[in-house]
Amino acid sequence: MTALSEPATSTSQALTVEGLTVHYGGVCAVRELSFSVPAGEAIGVIGANGAGKTSTLKAVMGLIPRRVATLRFGDIDLSRVNARSMVRHGIGYVPEGRHVFAGLPVEKNLLLGAYARKWNAETHATLGQVYELFPVLGEMRHRLAGALSGGQQQMLAIGRALMSRPRLLLLDEPSMGLSPKLVEDILAVLQRLRAEGLSLLLVEQNAKLTFEATSSCLVVENGEVAMSGTSADLRHDPQVRRIYLGL
Amino acid sequence: MRKKLATVALVGAGAWLLPYGLDSYAIHVANVILIFAVLAIGLGLCMGVAGQVNLAQVAFFGVGAYATAILTTKAGLGFWVAALLAVAATVAVGLVVGTPALRVQSHYLGIVTLGLALAFTNWVTNAQVSGGAEGISSIPGPTLPGVDLDSEYLYYYLELIVFALALAFGLFLVRTRLGRRMRAMRDDSLAAGALGAEVPQLRMTAFLLASVYGGVGGVLYAGLIRYVAPESFGIANMFLLLGMVIIGGRQSLIGCVVGAVSLALVREGLTDHPTVAQVAYGAVVVLVVVFAPTGLAGLPARVRAALARRRRQQSAAARLGPFQPYPAAGIAPSGRPVLEVTGLTMQFRGIRALDEVALTASEGEIRGIVGPNGSGKTTLFNVVSGLYRPTAGQVRFRGQDMTGSRPYRLARAGMSRTFQNLRLFGDLTVEENILVALDRSPTLASWRYLLGPISILRQDRTLRRQAGEVLDRYGLTEFAQSRPRSLPYGIQRRVEIARAVAAAPSLLLLDEPAAGLNGEEVRQLSEIVRSIRDSGITVIIIEHNMGLVMSLCERVTVLAGGRIIAEGEPADVAATPAVIEAYLGDSMSTEDLPSVPEVTA
Amino acid sequence: MQVFLQTIVGGVSLGAVYALVALGFSLVYRTMGLVNFAHGNVVTVGAYLASTFYLSTKLPFALAMVVAIGLTGVIGLVIERVLRPLENRDFDLMLIGTIGFGIVLDALIIMIWGATGRAVPSPVPSAPLDFLGLRIRTYDLVVLAIAAAATVLLVLFLSRTKRGAAMQAVAMDHEAATAVGIHVGRSNAIAFMIGAGLAALAGGLVGPLLYVSPALGGTLGIKGFAAAILGGFGSIPGAIVGGLAIGILDSFMAGHFQGYGELFTFLIFTVIIMVRPTGIFGERTVNRA
Repeated sequence: MTALSEPATSTSQALTVEGLTVHYGGVCAVRELSFSVPAGEAIGVIGANGAGKTSTLKAVMGLIPRRVATLRFGDIDLSRVNARSMVRHGIGYVPEGRHVFAGLPVEKNLLLGAYARKWNAETHATLGQVYELFPVLGEMRHRLAGALSGGQQQMLAIGRALMSRPRLLLLDEPSMGLSPKLVEDILAVLQRLRAEGLSLLLVEQNAKLTFEATSSCLVVENGEVAMSGTSADLRHDPQVRRIYLGL
Repeated sequence: MRKKLATVALVGAGAWLLPYGLDSYAIHVANVILIFAVLAIGLGLCMGVAGQVNLAQVAFFGVGAYATAILTTKAGLGFWVAALLAVAATVAVGLVVGTPALRVQSHYLGIVTLGLALAFTNWVTNAQVSGGAEGISSIPGPTLPGVDLDSEYLYYYLELIVFALALAFGLFLVRTRLGRRMRAMRDDSLAAGALGAEVPQLRMTAFLLASVYGGVGGVLYAGLIRYVAPESFGIANMFLLLGMVIIGGRQSLIGCVVGAVSLALVREGLTDHPTVAQVAYGAVVVLVVVFAPTGLAGLPARVRAALARRRRQQSAAARLGPFQPYPAAGIAPSGRPVLEVTGLTMQFRGIRALDEVALTASEGEIRGIVGPNGSGKTTLFNVVSGLYRPTAGQVRFRGQDMTGSRPYRLARAGMSRTFQNLRLFGDLTVEENILVALDRSPTLASWRYLLGPISILRQDRTLRRQAGEVLDRYGLTEFAQSRPRSLPYGIQRRVEIARAVAAAPSLLLLDEPAAGLNGEEVRQLSEIVRSIRDSGITVIIIEHNMGLVMSLCERVTVLAGGRIIAEGEPADVAATPAVIEAYLGDSMSTEDLPSVPEVTA
Repeated sequence: MQVFLQTIVGGVSLGAVYALVALGFSLVYRTMGLVNFAHGNVVTVGAYLASTFYLSTKLPFALAMVVAIGLTGVIGLVIERVLRPLENRDFDLMLIGTIGFGIVLDALIIMIWGATGRAVPSPVPSAPLDFLGLRIRTYDLVVLAIAAAATVLLVLFLSRTKRGAAMQAVAMDHEAATAVGIHVGRSNAIAFMIGAGLAALAGGLVGPLLYVSPALGGTLGIKGFAAAILGGFGSIPGAIVGGLAIGILDSFMAGHFQGYGELFTFLIFTVIIMVRPTGIFGERTVNRA
C-alpha cells in the first residue's frame, strides 16, 4: 500500500512552537510553552486532566484565541493561518472525545476529512487506504457515525484526519474511554503511521501509550512544561509519576 | 450607599415634579410610558432574571385591560373591584401560559408563548363579550374620594405610585432569596436543581410575576385610555416591549425601565413616521444584541471593566485563604447505609452506559469510584442525583426509594453534588452562589413576600451571616463579591465544593474534584474532604488522581465499561488483576508505570 | 365523509406552503442550530417581491418567483453576516437578534409597499378539477408539485453534494468541521441564503392563495415554525409532515370554529408540544452534566 501521508521532503517540515500562551475565561491554561516536532518524529505531551494539554493542541490549531511568539511548520508561518486553513498546510487534527459528525454516515465523515481536496479518484484511493488501515470502518461505511462504538468512532476520527493526507497529525487523547485492548489497537495504528513517515503530536493522559508511541515527551503541569526528555528515559523516571499524580 | 439614596431621592423628586412642566398631551405620553415601564419590569423579571422566554407579555397586558373593561361595562362592577379581579384573571392566564415552560425552554417556549398570545388576539377579535374588532369603549374610570382621576395629571400620580411600588418590589425580589434562586436557575438550571431549587415552581413563579405586572399594566391602561381594542395587544407591541427590555438590559430591572422610557420617547418623537421608528428600534435591538448584549444598563460596568483592564495589566493575584476544618461531629458513624444502588442499568441509544451496577455507601465513609475515562462514572452520578432516569434498577437514599426522583427532591432529601466541568452560577457573585445553596426554604414559601419585606430581610440577614462563615471557612472571603468566571480555576473548584457543602447534605457526591488542581491544591482538597467527612457527611468521590483516591478513601469501587469490576480497600483493589488490566494498565507489576497508586501517600 | 375529505384537500395546499416555511426553519436549525425568528417576515418580503414582479413588472409568474427568491436570498446573507459574531456563542441572543431583524423587515415592508394588502390572481386560471366528487383547484396542484420538487432538490443537495454534507457537519461539530477545512461562516451564510430562498418560494406561492399583506408573514412564520416543531425540529421529513398536519388542522379548525380557528390551532399545538416536545421525527437530546 502507498503511504497515507505525503512523505516529509526535508527537515524543514518541522513544527516549531515558541512562547505559546492561552487564556481561557480569565484562567491561564497554557503559559509560555515551547516545543518542536521534527519531521517524521512523534512527540508526546502528557499530564493530568486539566493540565492544559487540550488547550495546547487547540491553540496550535488556532481553534481558540492564543498568543504565540513563533509558530512555524517548515517555512510556513502558521501564526497567521486561520484554523480552517491549517489542513491545507498539511496538518491533520483528531479532536478530543471523538468529535465525529454523528448524524452523517461513516463514509461521508471520511470524505469530509478530504474537504480541502477535490473529491476525485485520488481521494477515493485514500479512502481505500483508510479502509485498509481500519477494516471495521469499511464494514460500517453506511452506518451513521453516531451509532458506532467508542473505539470505532476514535478510528473514524483518525481516519478522517488522514483523508486530508497530512504531513503532521495532531491527536488529542485518542485513548479516552477505550478499553486496554482498543488502546493497543490505537497504539499499533500510531506506530504504523509513524513508520510511514508521518509526524505526530500526541496529547495524552495515558502515559504508557504515549511512551510507546513517541520518541520524546513533554510532561505538562498547570500549563507549563514540568519535564521533558526522551520517552525511554521518562518512563523510568520516578519524577514523572509524582507530577503525573499531582502529588 | 448615601450616593444611591441621593440619586433615588433626586429621581423621585424629579418624577413628582414632572407634571408641572408638561402640557396635557405630554402628560398623556408620560402616563403611557409609565404603563410600558411596568410591563417591561414584568418581562424583565421573567426573561432577564428567570431566563424564561416570554413572548406573551402583551397578552397578559391585554387580559388585564380587557378583564377590567368587561367587568366594569358588562358586569357593572366598580373600577377597583374589577381591577383586582382583572389582575387575578391575568395571573390565572399567566399560569396557563407558563405551563409549557415545565416541558420546553428557549425557542420552543418562545414560539409557544407567541402562539398563545396570538390565540388571545384571535379570541378578542372574534368574541362578542370583548366587542370584536371594535373593542370596548367608555370604560368607567377609577374614582378616589377627593381626587379627580379623570384628570390625567392626577392619574399620573396614581400611576407613579403603582410604578414605584412595582419597581421597588421587583428590585427587592431580585436582591433577595426568590430572585437569587431565579437568577441561579437562569445561569444553570441543572446546578440550581442539584442544589434544591424547585425548577418547575420557579419557572411558574416567573410567569406568575410577569402576569401580575402585565395585569397591573392592563388595569392602568384601561383606566387611562377608557377604551380597549385588539390591535393594542398585537405582536407589534410585543416586539416593542421586547425591544425595550433588550435595549435597556434584560438582566437589570432599572435597565428595563430605562429601555422602556427611551424607546417610548423615540417612538413618540417619530410619531408621524411610525415605520421609521420601527426600523430604528429594530436596528438598535440587532446592534445591542451584537455589540452590547447587556444593554444600556450593562454599559457602565463594561466601561469600568475596560478601564480597569487598561489600568492594570497584571493585577496582584488574590490568594486563596487557608481552609479551617469543621469541628468533628464526635458521633461514631453508625455504619447504616446512606445510599443503596441495586441493579442500576442506563441505556442510551444502543450504548449501555451502566450495566447492573450495585453500590452501597454507609454513613461516614469516603467512597472512591475510579475507572477509565468513559467507564460510566459520571453517568452513575447523574442517575443517582436524578438527572437521568435509569432504564432499570433502584436508588435508595437514606432508606427511601428515590429512583428517578427529580434532582431538587434528592437535593432537599440531603444529597449534594459537584460537577466535573464546574457549574457555578456565572452571573452571581461567589457569595450569592453560596447563598443559593444555604437557602433551604421551599419556593412555595415565597408567598411571604406579600407580608412585607421585614421577615424576608431578617431571614436574608441570617443567610448572609451563614454565607460569611462558609466563605471564611473555605478561605474565600476575599472573593465574596467576585464573579466565579473571573477567578482562577483552583478557586472555582473550591467555591463549588463550598457551595455543595453549604447545602447541608448528608451525602456529598464529588465528580473529579482534583481535575486541574496542582499538587498543593490537591493536598488541601484531601484535607477539606476529610474534614467534611469528619463533620458527619458521607462522601462519594469520582477521581482520576489515584494518589488522592488511595490516600483518602476507605473503600474503592472500580467501574469499567459500565460494570463494577472490583470493590474493596484501595490496596486490595489495586492488586486485583481485572483492575490492573482495565484501568492501571498491564505494566502495574513493573516499577515504571506513572499511575502506580501511592498507598502510603 | 365527502366534507371530511374536502376539508383535508382544502388544507393540503396551505399545508404545503407551511411545509416550505418549516423547511427553511429546519434547514437553518439543522445547519446552524439557530431559530430564525425573522423567517416569517422574510416570507412576506418574498411574497411582496414575487407579486410585484408578477403584477407590476408583468414578468411571467415563474420568472417573478426566481427573481424574488434571488433577492430574498441576499436578505438572508445580510442577516447571517450581521449576527455572525454571535454564532456558536449565545443561542438566546441570536434568537433575539433575529427578532430585531424581523421588526426592521416588517417596517421596511410597510414603507415600501404600504400597509394595505393586495390580491394576486392565480397564474393558472382554469376551473377546479373534479376528482371523485372532490373539488381540487389546479393552483393547489401547482403548489404541491413545486413544494415537492423543492423538497426533493433540498434532500439531494444535503445528501449528495460536498457543500450539503459540509453544512450538516458544521451543525454537528463546528470545531471538527473547521479542522477539516470547512469555512463555518460561509457554510452558515449559504444555509441562511437557502432558508431565505425557501421563504420567498413559500411567500410567492402563497400569494394567489391568500391576501398578500404585511401581516401575512407573521401567521405563516408561526404556523411554519409550529409545523417544524411538530415534525421534529431540524428534520426534513418532519417539516413536510408537520406542515401538512398544521395545514389540515387549520382547515378543520376553520371549518368547526370559524373565526376562532387560529385560537384552537395554537391551543392544540401547545398541548402537542407539551406531550411530545421533540415532535414526531425528533430525537431526544440528552442533557449532559
